Amino acid sequence: MSKTNLRTKRISSGWTVFSYAFLILFTVVTLVPMVWMLYSSFKLNGEILLYPMSLPKEPTLANYRKAFEFGNMFNAFFNSLFYSLISTASTVLLSLCAGFALTKFGYRSSKVYSGFFTLGLLITVNSVITPLFIMETSVGLYNTRLGVILPYIAFGLPMAILIASSFIKGIPDALIEAAVIDGAGYQYIFWKIILTLSTPVIATIAVLNFLNNWNEFLLVFTLTSGENMRSLPVTINSFAGRLNQDYGLQFSALVIGTVPMFIFYFIAHNALVQGFGEGAIKE
Amino acid sequence: MIRNRNKKISFYTLLMPAFIIYLSIIIFPIVMSFGLSFTKWRHYQMVGVVGLENYVSILKDPSFQKSLWNNVQIMLISVLGQIPLGVILAYLLYRKWVRGAKFFEMMIFMPITISSVVVALLWNRVFSPVGIYTALVRSITHNPDYVVKIFESSRFAMIPILIVLLWQHTSLYMVIFLANLQRLPESVFEAAVIDGAKESTIIMKIVLPALANVIFTCSVLAISGSLKSFDLVFAMTGGGPVDYTSVMALYLYKQTFTFSNYGYGSAVSIIIVILSVGLISLSRGLYARAQRKYE
Repeated sequence: MSKTNLRTKRISSGWTVFSYAFLILFTVVTLVPMVWMLYSSFKLNGEILLYPMSLPKEPTLANYRKAFEFGNMFNAFFNSLFYSLISTASTVLLSLCAGFALTKFGYRSSKVYSGFFTLGLLITVNSVITPLFIMETSVGLYNTRLGVILPYIAFGLPMAILIASSFIKGIPDALIEAAVIDGAGYQYIFWKIILTLSTPVIATIAVLNFLNNWNEFLLVFTLTSGENMRSLPVTINSFAGRLNQDYGLQFSALVIGTVPMFIFYFIAHNALVQGFGEGAIKE
Repeated sequence: MIRNRNKKISFYTLLMPAFIIYLSIIIFPIVMSFGLSFTKWRHYQMVGVVGLENYVSILKDPSFQKSLWNNVQIMLISVLGQIPLGVILAYLLYRKWVRGAKFFEMMIFMPITISSVVVALLWNRVFSPVGIYTALVRSITHNPDYVVKIFESSRFAMIPILIVLLWQHTSLYMVIFLANLQRLPESVFEAAVIDGAKESTIIMKIVLPALANVIFTCSVLAISGSLKSFDLVFAMTGGGPVDYTSVMALYLYKQTFTFSNYGYGSAVSIIIVILSVGLISLSRGLYARAQRKYE
């Protein structure tokens, strides 16, 4: 008897109705604000004020044109992309290196280092933001791209090293020993064996970090001052606040902030579910 | 001998880049923060060491107390709202009583990708005079002049924020619990179903015990996470009106970056760290005690 058969046989209609009601309610509540935001972004402000709920009568791209022209959205988008990609790639590489060192070298100090990194899970951006601001100002990293990327990498590391270590631990020692006997150096072992075998965990670390870095707000907001340094969330926040009379324009800015992540979501959905499900949990 | 030295060099080459970045950007500032918290600043200059004075005036400040209470409300909605709803959603999806469980999961999980800033601004629109919520209430109550006034209430101003938090994060717990349910061996369920166990029995005797650990872990993270909330509140209300919706991280932000009071701000951040570590240890202790009781 197959599992599904077993399940369907025992279905009580009460539970089915309840399930549908509950899940549909949740889906509607989740989607309605986003759908409303999407179609409202094609309406001019006057139309939104008169008929806030109705679909656009004459869909217009005027809001988007203005948002890109006055809102610095292109620049913000590329900044976000730059910050997120560079810091995610660095976090992935550094965490795999560290994970390899901490699990396969058999030094007693590894435990201490691991514990030290785990401590970082308890520390969040706002507990270091004051000293970080003072430090960056005094060494000249304030309002530079490097000054944003370094904290992004650092805050990604504790979780990434945890995930990388537990995965690399599972790679058979025999593989590495055989390579050592064949005369391979540790650099070679890392690039050819560890990195190749770690593809699934690379995806998990990359996806989680990219998501966090893309949506990060406080660090960019406090450690940069120039318009041309700002990421998408920071730009949208000041743009939608400054012009808070024009609803149409605001909606277009919000859509610009959401659409790239929806594309990302549909591509990376499985890796995301796996990443969060495996115990990697958002701050 | 040479190989041993090589090994040591490789070890440090692999470990040190991560370690140095981590040390200088997370550990060093925390230590510095601790030191700063005993100092007083004026016009971007340190003007003296004041001992525990910062801590005393923070704890006495009614604005900080209000912020702390708002953090507690966020904590309660996380632990008593998001997590139970997450368990229910995960279970309904797991039992596949509906068609298209995958579709529901995919749609409900979507807000996880949106930045808190966008979520906050979107919901501000929802509650605005041209918003969905306002329109809904107007059509139900037949009062065309209804506007949302709860933001101005000192006691209830947090409610819209709590609703948004529920909207934003419940699905995260759903995904975590679902992943854990799917790791359960199918045979356990089959046996229970064949034996004709009632749904309530299955939930109480199989599902909840199986999820107990992960529910606990999530609660711990929700508790410490709720002490740190910033982005959403900052973008949605900025803590206002007055300090009705202020949270500790926002209080910290204002002290540091609006008043340039670095010592005072650092003391707030140390208080947040102490509270978060304290609450985590406390809940761990309670959980361990509860486990011993039931074994």
